[in-house]
Amino acid sequence: MAMHVNCAGMSRRDSLKLGLGGMLGAGFVDLLRGRSLASETEAAPAKAKSCILIWLDGGPTHYETFDPKPEAPAEIRGEFKPIPTNVAGIDVCESVPELARIADKYALIRSVCHEQGNHGAGNHYMMTGAPTRVPVGCGAFVSFHPSMGSFTAHERGHKNGLPAYFSMPSMTRSGGPNFLGAQYAPFEVDSDPNGANFKVRDVQLPRGLETARFSDRKELRQQVDSLKRFADKAAGDPVQALDQYYAQGYGLVSSIEAQKAFNIHSESPQLRDKYGRNSFGQRALLARRLVEAGVPFITLNEGGWDHHGDLFNAFRQRMPAFEASIATLISDLDQRGLLESTLVCVLGEFGRTPKINKDAGRDHWSSAMSILMAGAGIRGGQVIGATDRQGYAAVERVLSPEHFVSTVYRKLGFDPNKIYYTPEGRPTHMVSSGTPISELM
Amino acid sequence: MSICQQFHNVVRVAVCLLLGCGSVLANEAESGLVVYPATITLSGDNPRQQLLVSGPGGASGADWTTTVARFTSETPNVVAVDAAGVVTPVSSGTGVVRVEAEGRVAQVSVTVGDLATALLDFERDIQPYMARFGCNAGACHGKQRGQNGFQLSLLGFDHDFDHYAMVSEARGRRVSVSTPEESLLLTKPLGTVPHGGGIRITKDSTAHRAILRWIEEGATRKAGTPPALVKVTVWPTERLLVRDETQRLVVTAHYADGSTRDVSSLAQFSSSDSVFAEVSPEGIVKAGKLTGEAAIMARYEGNFALTRVSMPLPGDVPEAYYASLPRANFIDDHIWSSMRRLGLKASEPCSDATYLRRVTIDIAGRVPTVDEARSFLADSGSDKRERAVERLLASPDYAWHWANKWADLLRPNPYHVGIKATVTYDDFIRDAFRKNQPYDQFVRELLTAKGSTWREGQTVMFRDRRAPDELTTIVSQLFLGTRLECAKCHHHPFEVWGQADYYSFAAYFSRLGRKGTGISAPISGSEEFIFTAMSGEVSHPLTGQVLPPKPLFGATRELAAGEDRRQALAEWITSPDNHLFARTMANRVWTDLMGVGLVMPVDDLRATNPATNEPLLVALGNDFRDHRFDIKHLIRRITSSAAYSLASEPNERNSMDTRNYSRHYRQRLRGEVLLDAVCEVTGVGEEFVAMPSGSSAKELWTHRIESLFLDAFGRPNENQDPPCERTSDTTVVQALHVMNSDSIASKVTSDAGRAAALGKSDKSPAEIVDELYLAIYSRLPTNAEREIGVGLYKDGSNRRLVTEDLMWALINTPEFWFKD
Repeated sequence: MAMHVNCAGMSRRDSLKLGLGGMLGAGFVDLLRGRSLASETEAAPAKAKSCILIWLDGGPTHYETFDPKPEAPAEIRGEFKPIPTNVAGIDVCESVPELARIADKYALIRSVCHEQGNHGAGNHYMMTGAPTRVPVGCGAFVSFHPSMGSFTAHERGHKNGLPAYFSMPSMTRSGGPNFLGAQYAPFEVDSDPNGANFKVRDVQLPRGLETARFSDRKELRQQVDSLKRFADKAAGDPVQALDQYYAQGYGLVSSIEAQKAFNIHSESPQLRDKYGRNSFGQRALLARRLVEAGVPFITLNEGGWDHHGDLFNAFRQRMPAFEASIATLISDLDQRGLLESTLVCVLGEFGRTPKINKDAGRDHWSSAMSILMAGAGIRGGQVIGATDRQGYAAVERVLSPEHFVSTVYRKLGFDPNKIYYTPEGRPTHMVSSGTPISELM
Repeated sequence: MSICQQFHNVVRVAVCLLLGCGSVLANEAESGLVVYPATITLSGDNPRQQLLVSGPGGASGADWTTTVARFTSETPNVVAVDAAGVVTPVSSGTGVVRVEAEGRVAQVSVTVGDLATALLDFERDIQPYMARFGCNAGACHGKQRGQNGFQLSLLGFDHDFDHYAMVSEARGRRVSVSTPEESLLLTKPLGTVPHGGGIRITKDSTAHRAILRWIEEGATRKAGTPPALVKVTVWPTERLLVRDETQRLVVTAHYADGSTRDVSSLAQFSSSDSVFAEVSPEGIVKAGKLTGEAAIMARYEGNFALTRVSMPLPGDVPEAYYASLPRANFIDDHIWSSMRRLGLKASEPCSDATYLRRVTIDIAGRVPTVDEARSFLADSGSDKRERAVERLLASPDYAWHWANKWADLLRPNPYHVGIKATVTYDDFIRDAFRKNQPYDQFVRELLTAKGSTWREGQTVMFRDRRAPDELTTIVSQLFLGTRLECAKCHHHPFEVWGQADYYSFAAYFSRLGRKGTGISAPISGSEEFIFTAMSGEVSHPLTGQVLPPKPLFGATRELAAGEDRRQALAEWITSPDNHLFARTMANRVWTDLMGVGLVMPVDDLRATNPATNEPLLVALGNDFRDHRFDIKHLIRRITSSAAYSLASEPNERNSMDTRNYSRHYRQRLRGEVLLDAVCEVTGVGEEFVAMPSGSSAKELWTHRIESLFLDAFGRPNENQDPPCERTSDTTVVQALHVMNSDSIASKVTSDAGRAAALGKSDKSPAEIVDELYLAIYSRLPTNAEREIGVGLYKDGSNRRLVTEDLMWALINTPEFWFKD
């Protein structure tokens, strides 16, 4: 059945007031801003133009990444040893040697915890800053609140006609827009940038179509497009909005800048090698290119971190290339002067159990997890918070998912206390009790 | 004017108000001055009365209160009046306030009774300030975990809770009876100590003095037995306003002992359509610059009152114009009459081609085929539109399309309930539309479902929604257009529903038995049985009291022992006497066909969200009910009205109309309809996983079946809770997809497609162009368009490539994307 209230909670009648119904995000943002309580919002200077969220779906172990516990008994500390980083006093697991070399570029948070020990709920909490409203199953793909990417798309709008929120190769479980509406859902690029024929769907001409023929078609379209437009804005003719989108679409197709972003083949083979000739490595490189083109939020959704068994062998297999790609991304952004304006976050939905189970794996554990954050003015070479000596629980500077998500928003220049209205008219904060992590600000 | 005459005026005003006539003013031809209220009684703490003065002209009488009216007290020792017309007491006694405007005079008698001798009462005298200054609003202390440790009940519906929070929590710092001035309840909103919510009240304001006095008196919960609030009223109840004109509203609280109070300064106001008329926090309505109507709601302590304001288009339309409009059925009567009130003129009737395309999309969820379009256009019968409607209603596409819409509303997440259960549920819905099951029967079958989730599809709602409260929310919203969700956790802020109503309704679902394998995401594959359980209760979440099942209004019959409670509920919901049931569905169908709902959102029918054309909604609902809830009848009724067949192109007297149906409102095609249309036009179908080859998009049994096209075009996502609604907007992602996607490009250029076939055929270029226009726009090209098209087929050009280019161009235009 037709529903004429969009997910931002405004009817078409309300949007009329803003000029043309359905015209881009800016008007909505203003209206919502007008509705929010002035006293509760503060303007913050935006450090970050973009955010790259590297999501390790499944919940990566904190022991074998950024929070090694060499003093714990063998059944807890596992098979790996800690190694020093280039910052005195900070040790990480030997599985991340390349990241260890650049610890001065990022901060580690070792004390985020929550109580959502299954994937569905943990994902939701970390990805949106809000716990699920009702208990959900472990395999659930749920959304009760807009994700960080969707809020960012809503607040920022798009640039150069590029979608504002990319998710590669797929959307994360709770990466959706919820009440903000489908136009703030992520633009998924599922094709593999490591492939020889890689192209980003829909933003480049279809295979085999020459530019000249496309121009002819474009011209022909203009000739045959005879549907009468209703110029009077009050008439709210939805066709006017489509005209704008076509203009933007044409702009994107012919924009050298935008197309450059997608042309990963133009990178030097050496740099492509450095990022790693695998799909994640090349996606990380593509993410940097999207940042350069002005895309404000890019999620790299990397599954396979749910190591209930055979954790150590799996890490030996996968981690070397993976962590090297992340280290390359951070260094590359830094060398190009982009790190100052780009926030990079690496995390999953929770950490993993202290005791190694009978299958040489670790199970879900939300009392402790580690997060890496770099760029956007974050002082590198610092560790925030700590778990106890055996890594059971965050004990020092205990932080919540709300703290983490608020930090991301604040870095992007949004006030996490801003109030939105759901379609039911219920006021909702971007983040409930939105306090950023002060050490990172 | 003599004294006698003046006295006469006052009496006349009083009589008229007693009779309750909204058109008090009709009587006022002579003096033309109407003052509200006609008499005033002031007593209690800080009483006040706002006077309203209206000029001549009935409902269009201008608000003179703040413009030309002059107020003076004739008895300054008893009563005072300020320049804004606010009357306040000086001492007990009787007095007179004189009102003068434009040479006319009226007098208002004032009785000043006991002034503030009684103790202040928490509920009556303090709580209204908490609402007025937003303290207990959802964004502040009213939110679930409060604000900075101080939590109030949302909008102050729980007085005991709030009193405890203020007086007993925080070690007496919020309310300090020993040092009242130090109470945080004062120092925070005054801003003398930092307050996250900023300064809310000013020193020595009425609010400040009242709260201070209440604390000094001991901050008691109940001061004696103050009379209960019975209702609130607002005056005036309707107004015609010209652009930018203002009208002040007066809100009166009526108490059980017959006393009244002017609570205009404490009420909260909101407009249903702020684009047409806004209302300030002080209750001053200001018309916008557009033609239209708005309902202004005044809320005070859980009670509501409404005023309708209409802003007609300037200029006169002769009566004869409206009399000359065609009337196919009652729908037209109601639409022309609302157009008349607003001075709108109807658009021209639409062309045959537009009608066919519109009605085919609306009824069958697809675009007309080339043959259908050709034969309809060639048909010279006067009843060809009716015949087309009947043909479409009888086609299998009707059931696929309308079931697809209901699937939007009911469809579960297969990751939650399991694949087989999702498929059987889908089958049940499809089957109901295939056999045109009367809507009441369909709903009764759903609500009383029993049996296996693998065989009886209708049981799956009870597998998907398991707790009585979940079922309460979805059932009341789907079938009654009543959003009870709010009342689950707190009193509904815009409605009469409280938690007791919610959980009494939930009690109908308390005796649901389930046997078999429950939900075990992510697979949930097994079978479950739903049956009537012998026990099970729902209790109030705060009081713990067991609540017997109770409908939202009216009554249900007594249940026999062991009878399923849902049986009684289903009877009550689908009863011909339940006006919400028929109207909710009528509004849904109307919205789909007409592009804009009589009530919006479509499932939010309540007194405080009135329909734009209430008589039409009532008539549609009754007609639907009287025709045995036959959905096809409802569709027939709407599609045969003259209003449905208006063109979308506006004229100078309706271009601004977006709610009154004086023209047809364009709608982007639904994702499924547009995708099927692309397949039909290109001659190349879509291959979906988990579907037989050749299936159309509207046959999909779950939104989880992958489709970038449908995702881009805003199909709902049953992942989201509540399921994110389908969107009808256009986006740049959609434009890019149709323009550039490999999948659409390959359909256009397929060897098996229409363009290839046309290229190979022996058809002339003109015939090819005609066919493309009929397939894509459902009309023939104009001569100029045909000329452009034919001109592309130059000697030596590749006919197939040219056809592909023209096809691509046409499917990328809005005439293809939109229902015009």
